[in-house]
Amino acid sequence: MMQRIARILAAAAMLATAATANAQGLAERVREHTLKNGMKLLLVERHTSPTVAAWIRYRVGSVDERSDERGIAHLLEHMLFKGTRTLGTSDYAAEKPLLEKIEVVAQQLTLEKAKGEKGDPVLVEKLEKELAELEKEAGRYVVKEEFAQIYNRHGGANYNAYTSKDGTTYLISLPSNKLELWAAIESDRMRSPVLREFYTERSVVMEERRRSYEAEPEGKLWETFLASAFNAHPMGQPVIGWMSDIQNLTRTKAESFLQRYYAPNNAIIAIVGDIDPEKTIALVERYFGHIPPGSPVPPVAAEEPQQQGEKRIEVVGDSGAELMVGFHKPTLPHRDDLIFDVIEMLLSNGRTSRLHRSLVVEKQLVSSIGAFTAPGHRYPNLFIISATPQAPHTSAEVEAAIYGELERLKSEPVSQRELEQILNRLEYEEARQMTSIGGLARNLTEYEAIAGSWRYLIEHRRQVAGVTPEDVQRVAKKYLIRENRIVGFITPQEVAKK
Amino acid sequence: MRCMFRFAILTTLILSLAACATTPWTVDPRKLTFPPLDFTIPKSERVTLSNGMVVYLLEDHELPLVNVTAYIRTGSIYEPEELAGLAGITGAVLRSGGTVSLSPEELDAELEFMASGVESGIGDDLGNVSMYTLKKNLDRTMSLFAEVITAPAFSDARFELARKNTLEAIRRQNDDPKGIAGREIRRSLYAGHPLGRVATSETVQRIGRDDMIAFYKRFYRPQGMILAVSGDFDSAEMKSRLEKLFGGWRPAGEPLPAVAEPLPTPRREVLFAQKQVSQSVVRMGHLGVEKNNPDQYAIRVMDYILGGGFTSRLTQEIRSNQGLAYHAGSRFDIGRRFPGLFIAETETKAASTARAISLMEEIIAGMTKEPVSTEELLLAKESIINSFIFGFAKADSVVNQQARLEFYGFPDGYLENFRANIARVTRDDVLRVSRKYLRPDLLSVMVVGDGKKFDKPLTTFGPVREIRLETAK
Repeated sequence: MMQRIARILAAAAMLATAATANAQGLAERVREHTLKNGMKLLLVERHTSPTVAAWIRYRVGSVDERSDERGIAHLLEHMLFKGTRTLGTSDYAAEKPLLEKIEVVAQQLTLEKAKGEKGDPVLVEKLEKELAELEKEAGRYVVKEEFAQIYNRHGGANYNAYTSKDGTTYLISLPSNKLELWAAIESDRMRSPVLREFYTERSVVMEERRRSYEAEPEGKLWETFLASAFNAHPMGQPVIGWMSDIQNLTRTKAESFLQRYYAPNNAIIAIVGDIDPEKTIALVERYFGHIPPGSPVPPVAAEEPQQQGEKRIEVVGDSGAELMVGFHKPTLPHRDDLIFDVIEMLLSNGRTSRLHRSLVVEKQLVSSIGAFTAPGHRYPNLFIISATPQAPHTSAEVEAAIYGELERLKSEPVSQRELEQILNRLEYEEARQMTSIGGLARNLTEYEAIAGSWRYLIEHRRQVAGVTPEDVQRVAKKYLIRENRIVGFITPQEVAKK
Repeated sequence: MRCMFRFAILTTLILSLAACATTPWTVDPRKLTFPPLDFTIPKSERVTLSNGMVVYLLEDHELPLVNVTAYIRTGSIYEPEELAGLAGITGAVLRSGGTVSLSPEELDAELEFMASGVESGIGDDLGNVSMYTLKKNLDRTMSLFAEVITAPAFSDARFELARKNTLEAIRRQNDDPKGIAGREIRRSLYAGHPLGRVATSETVQRIGRDDMIAFYKRFYRPQGMILAVSGDFDSAEMKSRLEKLFGGWRPAGEPLPAVAEPLPTPRREVLFAQKQVSQSVVRMGHLGVEKNNPDQYAIRVMDYILGGGFTSRLTQEIRSNQGLAYHAGSRFDIGRRFPGLFIAETETKAASTARAISLMEEIIAGMTKEPVSTEELLLAKESIINSFIFGFAKADSVVNQQARLEFYGFPDGYLENFRANIARVTRDDVLRVSRKYLRPDLLSVMVVGDGKKFDKPLTTFGPVREIRLETAK
């Protein structure tokens, strides 16, 4: 799932704007407000239909986890659906002591299981039984999926959440007369979440991991590729965590992470749709204004040392061949990030893009090919080209053809017409992004969190317009080189056996 | 603010029993009330061109964009069995193969320079050609859109490319366990019907360019075709533009061939495909109903309670209570033209495969045993009724919604009466339709996974037919 999100973000990085009526429209239409507790609010009034999208984004994601916390941001995303002291329970006072007992037994069990073969199977069995009984007892007080029940009854749509390297986002759309419901539920979720049913949910996340990474060869390649690309920086850790990471997470650890960061000063909210901005600000102040701030998220101190030579990663899989080629690159606000946006569009945007034309249509080496930036944006990341070889061609042939196109970027200046086509595409995208209230809420929260201001949305195209053919050549020569490269590929089982 | 906050914390601690409390800022979301929502279904204009094409139009001047979608009466249900894959290739090459006036490369270059798009595809019972453009490029993009529909060139080279890509997709069709399971259960439930067919490398090798052109000529014509147009344009101008672009296009056509109704499978099948993966994919299902069935509203409510989303019985038991899966749910598809499928699905670790199947059977059968609770009924009905509005959030959705209703022949007033029809559903109705349309005894099961690691052999559920998977080389 995460790579799909990464790709969406990569696509979103292309959305932009400049001096057209629309862009000015967006600039004038966004209303900003910061609460005293540090929470940032972005509002856009739009009356196309009586609906509203509300997105909450926390500036904390998997890069902010310590090594013994890997997977916790994502597991917390699940846990925050479990309710509060008032929602999701019929009697919190009676439930609370049981939750404490569960935690004691679960920690003992986790510890004993972590001993592996040296653990005591009799004790494990005893603790498992005890845990099951306690969970059953606590379960009597659980009101299942109460957030979802209430939202759904009121016509909520797209109720969901996602976790990335950079942040965690909770989203919903509602009929616009129900906005107060969102404020009541979300302020309660921010103020007094209760991580009930933690250990069943931990099993659910293990199933999620099997589903998205272990049963899908492409998922396996993706996480192996990323983990190999980064020696030091947590950017290389899987968002969901490795299986043994998830197995060893406890509610105590999750609560400590929660209390550190899930506070209004680390939250950005976008509300887009059929709203009255003044009344909406008053509503948000009333519900969220009293929630105390927490600690700001400290910067990740780890720095990725410069790569000392090409890295090559093989995954043997029960599937056809796949290929990924990545290069380390800086992230925004570094100007080279912007030039990579141009390179990405030159190489892979549409049927006329260089990689599609050359590898899909002319040489017919691949059935599909794409380029994107991943896996996150707050810290230096990777420019990645991903291709599906077409039989009988091998990954090696595809790789050589990709390098041929990358060499062209270094040796030939990009034509003015290609640059103009990119600006035209950005002009279209800036209008299109306004068509969906959810899409606009996503862009506003993403850019506020990653670029430091949503205004990047209205500056990006102007900046791209300043990119020259020499810029593209310089950046290609600097980063798209062998020593800076990671190559990952799936070798089909049958081929590996030979 | 600060003092108030301390007071609030204290209150919560003391009153945690009655936390639906009365502090100034704690409002119980369960007890909120709301002003009524002002909403009427937006209407688009319907006109007929001189050649018989139907057009739905809806202006929306907020953004300088125009979208058009054409609905064409064709589909893979009409392709000859020995040429399975023909419809998909025709749909792709209609766009990729250029037009009589522009080579494929010229067409791509001109559209992409304007940041406009034209796309085309053919599904089971429908063909689409769609376009998007900035208003300033409307004229040129629309004429290219019309050319793709009325004068495609089907370039030989692009035909070969599309065929190669289709063969590659077939070569890789067993890479993804979920893809295998979905395909194979559909094949089994629609056995003997065009909806149950899948293209193979043999059928695709057999397809020639002439077959594709003949397929296009047979189905692409103004009679029965519907256009949905939305965005920043003037309706009067748009009508005359469409008349100019399409009015003279009058190819002859023969009536659409009849396609038989699919028949329910006489007995359940237990299907298994071996794949060395840690998680099994489970799909269970049988044939369902189509849109003219008057019980469809009660079925929708039943489906919501059984398998629709976070609050459903399947998700709550399999995911939330037992932690057996990340995803568990069902969908009772109300077919638009033919009976749809009822499919329940989950993925679970190999060692809980049989347990998950038994649980799903039990939960499905549970729907037929006693009435659902009043709370479940209320939640399902309110959710369906109150989220109805999201089908109309954009002009583009409104106009396409209306085009589709006509294309598939939904009865007049279908949308207008939809919410009232859901509101009328009772607990007795849900029990009645559960008993009539959920057939636990006929549920076929498809499992992809590592058979040796299952908790119980699949023969527990009946005689097993194994599907041998060929994998990509």
